[in-house]
Amino acid sequence: MSAGEEEENAAELKIGDEFLRAKCLMNCEVAIILEHKYEQLQQMSDDPANQVSQVFEKSLQYVKRFSRYKNPDAVRQVREVLSRYQLAEFELCVLGNLCPETVEEAIAMVPSIKTKGRIDDDEQIEKMLHDLSLIKKFE
Amino acid sequence: MVDGHNFKSSKMVFLEAEMNSNVLISPDQLTPQGLLLQKAIITRLLEDIANKKASKEHGYFIAITSLKSIGDGRVRTLTGDVLFPVSFSCLTQKPTKGEVLTGTVERILKHGLFVKSGPIEDIFISEKMTGDYKYVPGESPMFLSEKHSKLEKGVSVRFKVVGFRWMEADRQFQLLATLAGDFLGPI
Repeated sequence: MSAGEEEENAAELKIGDEFLRAKCLMNCEVAIILEHKYEQLQQMSDDPANQVSQVFEKSLQYVKRFSRYKNPDAVRQVREVLSRYQLAEFELCVLGNLCPETVEEAIAMVPSIKTKGRIDDDEQIEKMLHDLSLIKKFE
Repeated sequence: MVDGHNFKSSKMVFLEAEMNSNVLISPDQLTPQGLLLQKAIITRLLEDIANKKASKEHGYFIAITSLKSIGDGRVRTLTGDVLFPVSFSCLTQKPTKGEVLTGTVERILKHGLFVKSGPIEDIFISEKMTGDYKYVPGESPMFLSEKHSKLEKGVSVRFKVVGFRWMEADRQFQLLATLAGDFLGPI
């Protein structure tokens, strides 16, 4: 890469390597992270609104609106319950986000539960959904 | 933990990704005190990411969650600016074909409706993809189903992404979605 190209890349904020390691987060987890970030900014600066981008604002509004669980302990429990099953990270997050009420709905939202044989037994899916609804009940 | 080796086929939700970037610091920001320099680098990185908004590869940059490391600076001989390689974690979101998302109805038109979802502002659902919801004209137009369920501005909907493209000029994604499917529609 020539010096000229490098200069151009730097000016554009060209991100170097692709995803080195990525982990998936549910809406309710993102809500906690972004709210905490916003509080940090409020403490650090006189004008926090100036520091946050539109993308941040809209994302925060969105996750607050579409999080089923608000309490950090409940959120931790949700991840714990879902982690007991052989699910891929993104499948876990989709289930945690969409909170299906029936086994049918869960399979419709995340077909790979069945097609990739994540959870063969419908009763197990039923139990998982039941545990999730209990967390909500006692939140 | 990451699912499989094929990001393109996975249904991405919010991802916390590790990234590398270069931050340019001008000479007037370089002071003998190390701490001020670090602050200048972080501030500049935050600004750069906020301005960049999104990229085709990573999707929307939502928030930097942590700074991993700052490498040695290299001086740009022409300008005197110093380039610092920075490694950090960032929350991102990128649409994926086939994924089911929730959003809010923004606008109703005869040929379809526009929906917003988080940082994604441009989502179009054609009237051909609204299942049994039909357009109802009027002062406040809406889409109405046989069971009298309404789709109007402000309603939350669950939709499936049919396709999307990256718009370089606006630095955002444009999505096409459908409501035709089990468990899709207003929630």
